[in-house]
Amino acid sequence: MSLIRAGWRAFVITIRMRVISTWSYLSWLVFPMLFTIVGLYVLSSGGASSSRLVYGVLGGGLIGYWSVAYLDAGNSIQDERWSGTLEQIFATPTPIWVILFGKVCAGLVFGLVSFLPNAALAYFGFHAVLPALDPWKFVISLGVLTLSFFCIALTLAPLFALWRWAFSMLNGFELGVYILCGFMFPIAALASWAQGVAGVLAPTWAVRALYASTVMQGPHDFTLWWLAAIGLSVVYLAGAYFLYGLVEREARVSGELALA
Amino acid sequence: MRRLALEVAVFVRSIWLQYVALFQWATINGYIAYKLLLPVTQILFFVELGVYATGRQNALYFALGNALQLTANAGIFGVIATVANERQYGTLPLLLASPANRLVTFLSRAIVNVIDGIATVVVGLVITVILFGLDLHRANLPLLGLCVVVISLTTAGLGLMFGSIGLVMRDAIILANVVYYLLLIVCGINFPVSRLPFVLQLVSYSLPLTRGVQAAREAAAGASIGQVSGLLAGELMIGLLWALGGYALFRILESWARRGGLQEAY
Repeated sequence: MSLIRAGWRAFVITIRMRVISTWSYLSWLVFPMLFTIVGLYVLSSGGASSSRLVYGVLGGGLIGYWSVAYLDAGNSIQDERWSGTLEQIFATPTPIWVILFGKVCAGLVFGLVSFLPNAALAYFGFHAVLPALDPWKFVISLGVLTLSFFCIALTLAPLFALWRWAFSMLNGFELGVYILCGFMFPIAALASWAQGVAGVLAPTWAVRALYASTVMQGPHDFTLWWLAAIGLSVVYLAGAYFLYGLVEREARVSGELALA
Repeated sequence: MRRLALEVAVFVRSIWLQYVALFQWATINGYIAYKLLLPVTQILFFVELGVYATGRQNALYFALGNALQLTANAGIFGVIATVANERQYGTLPLLLASPANRLVTFLSRAIVNVIDGIATVVVGLVITVILFGLDLHRANLPLLGLCVVVISLTTAGLGLMFGSIGLVMRDAIILANVVYYLLLIVCGINFPVSRLPFVLQLVSYSLPLTRGVQAAREAAAGASIGQVSGLLAGELMIGLLWALGGYALFRILESWARRGGLQEAY
């Protein structure tokens, strides 16, 4: 019961921090909308089909969702380190993963909101819609995507605690994730080696299912894609279990966490 | 003469100090993350997007536009970050209290970023040309190089304007992010300026990059300097105007920050 309360408090505090943070609005609102505008201008070049414009309608939202999901986990660790509270968090009886669970869930809530302004911008600014939306498949795909983002964020968080450079590396590779996960164009457009790398990323499969649920054309192997995304997410969680153990040892045995 | 020598000494020292003390990427990990991964993946993202939407024959259009836009990464982010970092690290009041010439101090903030901007474009372009097999055999490469230098200077001019705002604004880096990505929309980086609404076209031509990118694309198609001189002159003029505006704003806001004690607010 106390673990649930601790996770809930971490969730509430993260939501409150996000509401008052200007950075937060940049991640889930401004930044994705700027990408949506560029995306829709480019994708609508030469009278594009509506199936192509779908990538502009949802792409900005996906970018915002991902940015918030991984940023919340990563930044929360860095913020604690910079504020000198990281060691206190590790010294509390509550396991670190419970606190991060609350933080990541709060990020996912904010990230989901990111779809709304971008879809509105696409509709009112560019008259772009989702041409053949299958609501159930769309909702399930979004749920699977949320699970994959959740697992990745939870897995990445201990990396940020262990190595300070891990966050700057992932930050630098942020647009690489957009490419490999097919946020704004299908990964079929990529070189075959890049498609291989994309295949081991859980969001790639969930995003594929999400887009397929909005158009008539192309393959619609939803079950396979959902299972691939869920399976990979579970693998990430198994990796996270090992990493959290490593972080605990680093924090309690060597005492070098704040110096990482 | 002695005064001029002193000013030059301050200028050079300021550039050096800015380089060694303020650049967050001056480590191997930081450099790889922010100076290699970020620029290269940005170019790749927009080139792939453009190729998907318009076909492989247009890869050079997107590669060139986005590579040149990277100068804004150094020119705008770098310059704004230097002022913002002075504030964050508590050295802004010391800087403002120093007797050093403001114009010299101000311009020295941009120099390292201009050099960095040129290096970023070269790295980004070389990687893109190799990855996408872009054909530059008809390009006027010296002229393309000149365009890169000019754009690096002019975007730093814009950075100086927004860097000034960092004197009184706590979250100037947020502003840098917004300006940086707005340039992707309004400067003809990924689609022609003519597709924008009329008002945004006016904004577009009042910003650096727009003419410079146009000139660079013509240079890549083999144009001579005479054919793009008008565009480059316009680009330089716009950059100079933004830099002068930035300096004027710096002096106004410096006085405001002193009166309100805003330089110490973080």
